[in-house]
Amino acid sequence: MEQTQLKNISISGSGTSSGGEYDQVKVNGSAHIHGDLICEQFKCNGSAHLEGNITTNTAKINGSTHFEGDVEVKEMTINGSTDIDGNLLCDELKVQGSSTIKGNVKGKEIIVRGSASIDGNVSSDEIDVKGQVKIKGDCETESFEARGNFKIDGLLNAGTIDVELLRHCEAKEIGGENITVKKTRDASGFKKLIKFFMSNHNDQLTAEVIEGDNLYLEHTHAEVVRGNTIEIGPGCDIKRIEYKTSLEIDPDAKVGTQEKI
Amino acid sequence: MENLISKKDLLEEANISYGQLYRWKRKNLIPENWFIRKSTFTGQETFFPKDDILLRIEKIKTLKDDLSLDELADMFSPSPTLTSLSTEELTKRNIVSQTALDMFNNFHGPNLSFSFDQLLTLYVLNSLLQTGDVNRSEGLDLLKLFHEQAQTLKSNESELIFIRKMGVSIFILTPEPANLLLESQAKKIAHYKLSQCMEELKLKLS
Repeated sequence: MEQTQLKNISISGSGTSSGGEYDQVKVNGSAHIHGDLICEQFKCNGSAHLEGNITTNTAKINGSTHFEGDVEVKEMTINGSTDIDGNLLCDELKVQGSSTIKGNVKGKEIIVRGSASIDGNVSSDEIDVKGQVKIKGDCETESFEARGNFKIDGLLNAGTIDVELLRHCEAKEIGGENITVKKTRDASGFKKLIKFFMSNHNDQLTAEVIEGDNLYLEHTHAEVVRGNTIEIGPGCDIKRIEYKTSLEIDPDAKVGTQEKI
Repeated sequence: MENLISKKDLLEEANISYGQLYRWKRKNLIPENWFIRKSTFTGQETFFPKDDILLRIEKIKTLKDDLSLDELADMFSPSPTLTSLSTEELTKRNIVSQTALDMFNNFHGPNLSFSFDQLLTLYVLNSLLQTGDVNRSEGLDLLKLFHEQAQTLKSNESELIFIRKMGVSIFILTPEPANLLLESQAKKIAHYKLSQCMEELKLKLS
């Protein structure tokens, strides 16, 4: 079986396939695949619907694709829109369009330039967001970098958290080593224009609890902030701060109680 | 109710930082189900089973210089790290005593290599014999129990309890956490958490 050369399928126009093992799978029109798919390369330029699981080396989606099962892939690029009902296991994920994943996501490098919404938990080595991300579960990563909008219903746990706020960011709990939250400074003409139209949205981060070793926070609303060295910048509204080594508070910040432990 | 410790007290008592705790959680060194959420007057707080977490953190702190965090995670995970070990290797590295090995071989027939589950059985038997908690015939009872309940042992975290009353001995295998109340004449001779035995064994093997 190993020796036989794997075949390719190419669906142009509209077609169906029962799945199987292939080298390259290409969809240019619309395709419906009824079974599991194992292949080296999956490329969809039109629309595809896969009823089973898929295991592939690279997946590139330029049109729209719906996976009903689990997706296991080394390198995935989504330029159009993708729905995954199962879990996603990947090395590299790049979302430039939009994607909705109902299961958990496990990866090494996750880059979001469009919008991604995930119902389960996310774990990765690196997460880089310049768009919008919604996570209903927990998010664990070594480095979390965001220049956009995120909403995490569970815990955001990362070694380094670097956030430049845009509109309303939200996480239930945040924990990590170094946490930096800043307001976007380089307001270019275009961004100013966007802001002009969305003036009711303030750049702000809301969290119940933020815990870490070194914290720098701006425009953050939280119930409790705990850490070793804490610097509270302008626009913060924090009910309670517990710190170990040092605490600095900007005159433009509102802080309830503070306690050195 | 088990003895719990709040996150704040834990950090102070173990002398670690929030960053370390979150890092170890990310690396799966601390199991998810040890994070117990409770409402207190300051809002939601996280608590931990005190004895378990202090023991675990102590271990992480002493071992983290020699092993990488990923290696540590393997050690604490319930899945075995290696598949088998030969008899030669086992005696050469002095992991279990010859007596325990002989008893095991008498019961199961001679073995050339041991799977991780068999090694765990051997390890538990060996420690019980070494401490003098059980005698040889009781050791055989243990082998029988582990043999019959092999599936239970594999599937979840269990505790082994050894009780003696008026010279009659009983082994009990129960899921964690066990909470046994004994009558006054019965005596609990030994109480092992198998997950901990597994960690110790993995440490010896590595």
